[in-house]
Amino acid sequence: MKSYALFLGCTIPARQLNYEISARKALKALGIDLVDLDGMSCCAPPPIESVAVDASLAVSAYNICLAEEAGLDLLTICSGCFQSLARTNELLKRNSQLRKRVNQILSKIGKEFKGSIEVKHYLKVLHDEVGVEEVRRNVTKQLKNIKAAPFYGCHLLRPSELLKFDDPEKPRILDDLIEALGAKSIDYLDKLKCCGGLLRGYDDDLALELARDKVMKASKAGADCIVTVCPFCFINLDLGQIQIARKYNENYSLPIVHYPELLCLAMGVEAKELSPRSHRVKIDKLLEKMV
Amino acid sequence: MIRVSADFAKEVKKRLGGETITNCYQCGTCTSSCPVARVTNRFNPRKLIVQSLRGKRDDVLTGEMIWLCCSCFNCQERCPQRVEIADLIYALRNIAISEGNVPNIYSEFVSALYSEGKLVKVAGFTEKQRENFGLPPLKKPDVEAIRAILAETSFGEVLKVLEGKE
Amino acid sequence: MKVGVFISDCGGLVSKVLDIGDIEKYIRGIDGVKLVEVRDSFSSGEGLERIVRAFKERRIDRAVVTECSPKIAEIRILNRLKEEGVNPYLVEIVDLLGSCILPHRSWPDKAVEKAKVTLLAAVERAKLLEPIESRRFPIEKSALIIGGGLAGINAAIELIDTGFEVTLVEREPFIGGLAARMVRFFPTDDCALCVQAPIYELKGVTKTSRKGLYRSGVSELPGLNIYTNSRVVSVEGEPGNFTVTIEKKPRYVDETKCIGCGECTKVCPVEVPDLFNAKLKSRKAIYINAPNLYPPVYAIDETICKFKECAKCVEVCPTKAIDLDQKAETIKLRVGAIIVATGFEEFNPEVIKEYHYGEYPDVITQSELARMLDPFGPTGGIPIRPSTGEKAKKIVMIQCVGSRDRRYNRYCSGICCMIALKHADMIKKLDPESEVQICYIDIRTTGRMHEDYYERAREQGVIFVKGRPTEIVLNPDSGKPVVIVEDGLTGEILNLEADLVVLSTAFVPSSGSKELAEILGIEVAEDGFFKEYNSKLRPTETKIRGIYICGGATYPKDAPTTALHASSAALKAGKFLRSGEITKDLKVAVVNEELCGDCEFCPVVCPYGAITTVEKEGHVVARVSELRCEGCGICVGTCPKNAIELKHYTDDQILAQIRALATKLDPKEPVVLAICCAECGHCAIESSGIFLIEYPPNVRVMKVPCAGVLKVHHFLEAFNAGVDAIMVVGCKPEGCHYEYGSIKAAQKVAFTKTLLKALGIEPERIEMFQMVHIEGDRFAEAAKLMVERASSLGSIKEMIKI
Repeated sequence: MKSYALFLGCTIPARQLNYEISARKALKALGIDLVDLDGMSCCAPPPIESVAVDASLAVSAYNICLAEEAGLDLLTICSGCFQSLARTNELLKRNSQLRKRVNQILSKIGKEFKGSIEVKHYLKVLHDEVGVEEVRRNVTKQLKNIKAAPFYGCHLLRPSELLKFDDPEKPRILDDLIEALGAKSIDYLDKLKCCGGLLRGYDDDLALELARDKVMKASKAGADCIVTVCPFCFINLDLGQIQIARKYNENYSLPIVHYPELLCLAMGVEAKELSPRSHRVKIDKLLEKMV
Repeated sequence: MIRVSADFAKEVKKRLGGETITNCYQCGTCTSSCPVARVTNRFNPRKLIVQSLRGKRDDVLTGEMIWLCCSCFNCQERCPQRVEIADLIYALRNIAISEGNVPNIYSEFVSALYSEGKLVKVAGFTEKQRENFGLPPLKKPDVEAIRAILAETSFGEVLKVLEGKE
Repeated sequence: MKVGVFISDCGGLVSKVLDIGDIEKYIRGIDGVKLVEVRDSFSSGEGLERIVRAFKERRIDRAVVTECSPKIAEIRILNRLKEEGVNPYLVEIVDLLGSCILPHRSWPDKAVEKAKVTLLAAVERAKLLEPIESRRFPIEKSALIIGGGLAGINAAIELIDTGFEVTLVEREPFIGGLAARMVRFFPTDDCALCVQAPIYELKGVTKTSRKGLYRSGVSELPGLNIYTNSRVVSVEGEPGNFTVTIEKKPRYVDETKCIGCGECTKVCPVEVPDLFNAKLKSRKAIYINAPNLYPPVYAIDETICKFKECAKCVEVCPTKAIDLDQKAETIKLRVGAIIVATGFEEFNPEVIKEYHYGEYPDVITQSELARMLDPFGPTGGIPIRPSTGEKAKKIVMIQCVGSRDRRYNRYCSGICCMIALKHADMIKKLDPESEVQICYIDIRTTGRMHEDYYERAREQGVIFVKGRPTEIVLNPDSGKPVVIVEDGLTGEILNLEADLVVLSTAFVPSSGSKELAEILGIEVAEDGFFKEYNSKLRPTETKIRGIYICGGATYPKDAPTTALHASSAALKAGKFLRSGEITKDLKVAVVNEELCGDCEFCPVVCPYGAITTVEKEGHVVARVSELRCEGCGICVGTCPKNAIELKHYTDDQILAQIRALATKLDPKEPVVLAICCAECGHCAIESSGIFLIEYPPNVRVMKVPCAGVLKVHHFLEAFNAGVDAIMVVGCKPEGCHYEYGSIKAAQKVAFTKTLLKALGIEPERIEMFQMVHIEGDRFAEAAKLMVERASSLGSIKEMIKI
């Protein structure tokens, strides 16, 4: 059993218990041990980079230092956290000048970025370390009838040169993991295009317009649900649909589920154990189809 | 009379994230890659870059364009000249914020990170729910350490700017 | 040793500033000086004859001559001496005017001192000069040309017309290269395959003949030997005498018997997609690319043929030309010169995944479109949608696919704009109703008549969208590709749905270029194309004498430029082969085998591949090819054992000059030694004088062929002799005449600084400068800086006893 330091981030533990519960359960069941470290802060994502890039790098590096001290690789659930931490980790490993600059800041609190660990997203761990076959073997309830629209979001894939998660133009990891559950992973137009989630709070209308485009295209392709991995995609597509209904008078009722939720369901976990009420778009239809 | 100058580009080039701005040859790959530009002409990354390259500092820093990037990195991924466009936009936002041009949502981020060490506060109700679902109690961030770090960065300056505004 | 010193007054210019009498007196006092003469000029007339006589009457055996405009004077003096049988390497020429007068007019007293010391150094060096012999190397008067495309064929024709035998090697079963696929060529719009018929008197061939490859008669040129299906696998030997090994793959068809009737193809049961025709049709295992190619005979694709299991072709062949037992042949040749004409190929755009080439059948490349536009091609000259076979009426072209792209190829491929315009023109002429839209970043039409195509395209209604598309998606409803691009001029994002999307891909070096470069011992540049000796002035030469490059092998080119390039390479090769021998002065590096052993540094640093290693008495020693060595001395500067010396610039000669230049006639004045290369470094110093920019006379100048010859111990010896500061002046690193000489020198200067530091001496006493001729002002600045530095640091004598 491999141990990872878990990086939960800010949004998931506060707003998306469905994600945290399902991710913890699924990873544990598949032999991944998660360690909750003291002191983990914010990953310092785009909103903080927008304020001060140097602060974002330093805070991000601080979190990595905590994992380095524990001697554990960092595992993230949120794609946003993954991008911030993995980018920082890679940038500081490559660029000695930048590392020097950041370490000078960290030295004020007695920390030093050493570059001794990896930052990984759990999807990659499931795909590469646990293995698609092993995931498939653990499925007790084949999701045969489900047509799932995989949505990678942006921050898992790009900038690919630093993140090295998957082929940024033709990713397979999420598709493979969905198919491992017996479901059909469907293709749809603009599959890799952003949902607009990060525009929420600055320009909600614009964020909604992008979400609408996404939901529309997945619906048109016949999806039973959109499978997400990022809490911001989830909010924008899930809560977004309630707002779309109000603003555009269009009702898609397309369930949005995080991948581990599907995984747990396929491994036989009861839906009620997974905080189903975290979903604004009801997932009942989807659950019915699974039977 | 319209004045054109490379001064602003030079300024941006010196900043973290802004280094690649002069690679741009205005092919527009970024704009056609951009999900926001596809739905509104209020945002156009190519134009944002050309405005910066021409030295239209005020237009760039006080306009809304820099805030409409959704940070999807699609433009950066596909740029044939390796302009790090998303990073460049962060750099432009950094300058705008340091000069007091701070959209409300960003003031909230700033104060949340400074006061909580996190961007989202966990409500009491949620903590109870976590317990009900058998989730472990949440570990707390070391706010003091975060503040000490922030004080060493340009974030400290931003705090002063924001205080001044209030 | 009897040294004669001949001081020219340069028509009074010298004596106007310097007290020549004082100088003469000083020179007469130098040990070994037997004769001193002062005249108006020594570079012609009686003056020059006096030097000749002094040598011939054995009054002197070494000479120092001062002259103005020394390059021309030097050549005249040395040529005259050579005529009279005096070895010119026994004479040292000094430019008193340029080095001691022009830059120091404000300090005549100090200039006199500098002149004295400069002449002293010249005398000390002259005493150690040795004659250098000239040797003749016989040359094989024939050439090998690698690559049977437009460049190779043109070079072959030119060389044969000049009178040499040529062997042309082509790795494909047919010659013609890219041209064979491209239908028409700009700017003439005639057949791409058309070549200038060779100019020799024969019935049916005229000087104006321009015909398709096969009909032109090229293959029948006397003295031309063409090997198709063949590769060069090794090249050994020396320039002028290369031994080339060629491997000829079996064609399984006897070229002398096949009459090209095509009966074999009819019965052949094996069918594969025809790559030559962009997979738009299939071909058989026994095939010919096109009927008008050379050789006009069939070939068997051995990767798919069923051979004796089938052998149907053997049965039907009326001339019994098919031989399924044919084996690969190895051919050995001796040639004097080699021309590389391996061309370029299309970049594979599959890696740009957002364009889905190779995945969406209606996304193709320009060369594939060219096959469609060939009236004898697979679609009869009509552009079609490969997915359905329907005629393509709306065509979108995308420029700069994989070129001007830092992710793949940074460079502009140069000809893709014109190819797109040419194809747009062909499509519009074929059917004015069809739509053509070209997405571009910049349209580049830099050749003669090229802009006409751009004008014509606009007249014909071709739409130019200024933008590079981000992606091509498939419209799920129509099944057609949609190009998504920002129209940069209106700021709108366009979805251009097309029947056919054509990618104007970059052009990249032919596969195998790197391996071939290794076989030949020449270099490829960072972009992967063969590297020219000098990209400005010697575009078809390589660093190795006798090996030339031309056409697309050096960079993508259009047909006119390729033809020009091929002629240039042929001329260079012809010049080299012309006399059947090379005459060369052996001012080359020489190995002392007693000292040399086992490190193998010099073979790596030699820019000319002139050094190999051989085993001798149980250890490895370096061996210098006298023919390949260009006399830069970088090997000398690199050798850790002092085991290799450059003739005419031996350690003793260099050190004698350094020690003499360190002489302090006025103990209060600091001495700065400027050691420059004979190329850009010396030009920069000279130009400061020529343009009357002054620098302090404390700076004493000496010249070496390349700064790469210098060693750390030369610098230490200079300090030891009393030099207070050293300037090393070399070429710009990117313009170094010997590739890395200037870089190597800079490394040694840096290392010397560390040593000085360790010895407690100020490291800023030595600096490296890299400059060109037009930077005489920069040299003067640097010289002032170093003199000031030497003054403020004080005399070196206080500091050391190294």
